[in-house]
Amino acid sequence: MRQELGQQIGEKARELLSSGVVECVIGYERATDGVTARPLFVYGVEDVDRLIFDDTCIHNLTRYLLNRRDKNTAVVAKPCDSRAINLLLNEKQIEREKVFIIGVACQGVVETRWNQAGETLQARCQLCSQHTPVVYDFLVGEAPPEQPPPEAYADVLEMEARSAAEREAFWQEQFDRCIRCYACRQVCPGCYCSECFVEQLDPLWVGIRIAPAENQIWNTIRAFHLVGRCIGCNECERVCPLNIPLSLLNRKLEKEVWELFGFQAGMSAEAVPPFATFEKEEKLGIGE
Amino acid sequence: MAVEYQPRMVGFLCNWCSYAGADMAGTSRMTYPPNIRIIRVPCSGRVDPLLVMKSFEQGADGVLVSGCHPGDCHYTEGNYHARRRFALLRSLLDFLGIEKERLRVEWVSASEGGRFKELVSSFTEELQRLGPRSEVSP
Repeated sequence: MRQELGQQIGEKARELLSSGVVECVIGYERATDGVTARPLFVYGVEDVDRLIFDDTCIHNLTRYLLNRRDKNTAVVAKPCDSRAINLLLNEKQIEREKVFIIGVACQGVVETRWNQAGETLQARCQLCSQHTPVVYDFLVGEAPPEQPPPEAYADVLEMEARSAAEREAFWQEQFDRCIRCYACRQVCPGCYCSECFVEQLDPLWVGIRIAPAENQIWNTIRAFHLVGRCIGCNECERVCPLNIPLSLLNRKLEKEVWELFGFQAGMSAEAVPPFATFEKEEKLGIGE
Repeated sequence: MAVEYQPRMVGFLCNWCSYAGADMAGTSRMTYPPNIRIIRVPCSGRVDPLLVMKSFEQGADGVLVSGCHPGDCHYTEGNYHARRRFALLRSLLDFLGIEKERLRVEWVSASEGGRFKELVSSFTEELQRLGPRSEVSP
C-alpha cells in the first residue's frame, strides 16, 4: 500500500515532467538513514522512481513553492500542507496555473528522528480531522473513515486554567532557551516577508542579543503574524532545536480565531481572512 | 515612609480623537495621574502589536491604546481593524501570563476630556492593584 502511493506519485511525476507541464516535482525520498524521509526535487524522469510516500513524510513541502514562483512546479501535499497552498493563493504569493498539486489522502504521520521512526502518530495527527487535501489536481491514497475529532485544544485549555504567574513562569522558561536561529520562520509557509521585523535595523525593533525579553517579543510577534494564517502543519515546532512548544501558541490563536470569527486558515483560497475585514457591530470585549 | 508603587504606562493616542481628548483634559485643567507617557499616532489602526510588545519589553506596566469611537475614525475603518487585532493580542498576552488588564483599548473622542481623565485614573488604580510586572531579565 505504501509502496503503491510512491509509485502512483512517481507515475504522475513522470507524466508531468515528460509532457513538460512542470519543470520540477517536489516530493519525498528515503533519507540516507534508510528510515526517515527527506524532500526531493525531481527535474528529470530518471529520478521519478526515487519518490516515496509513507508516514515518515513529515515535511511541509509547500514552503518551497515560494522559491519557484515563476516556474511551473508540482508539489506533493498532505491535507495540512494543502491548506498552506490555499493560504499562499489567497495572499497572491503563488499562481494556481503554475502549481500542480499532487494531493495525498493522509492517515497521519509519525514522529521521526535520525534513523528512527516512531510507532504512534504525531499528536497533531491524532487530533486531525482533515484527511483529504482541501485543494489538489490529482489525488492518491485513501482517507481513513471519518471519526469524530477528539478535544483538539486540551493542552491549550490546560494552560489557560493555570494562574497568570504560572503561565508567565512557564513561557519565560521556554523563551529563555530560544537561541533566535529563526528556523521556525524559515520553515513556515506563512513567513515569507522579504524583510522580517527582527532584521530591520532602522528602527531596530528587536535587539539582536539573546535576551529573554527580546526572545519574548520575537516569539510573541511571530505567533501574532500568523493569526488566522497558521495552517497547523507544525513545522515550526518540528524544526525548533530547543523544543519550544510553539504549536501551543499557534493553536491558542487558532482557537481564538475560530471562536471569535469562525475562521479556519487555508480552507479556501477565496475566504477573507479575519484581519482583512471587520463587522461594525461586533463585540470583542474592547472599549465597551 | 513607604513609597507607593507608581506604575508606568504608555498611551498610544490617535491624533484625531483621543490625543485631542487628552488635550481637552489638559486645557480644562483636569488633574489625572502623571504615570502615563503619551505617544501620538495617526490612528489606533497604526498601533502595531509590536509597539505594545516593545513597550512591555522596555518596562511598561500597562499600555493604553485609544482611538476614535467606532464609526468616527478619521480614516473610516482604522479603529475597526484595531479592535480585532487587540482583541486577539489581549488573549495572547493573557496566555503568556501578562494579565490582559495591562493592555487597555478604549475609545475617547476629542470632546471627552473628562472621560480621558477617568480612564487614566482607573487604569492607574488597576495597575497599582495588579502590582509591578514580574521582572523579565532584560
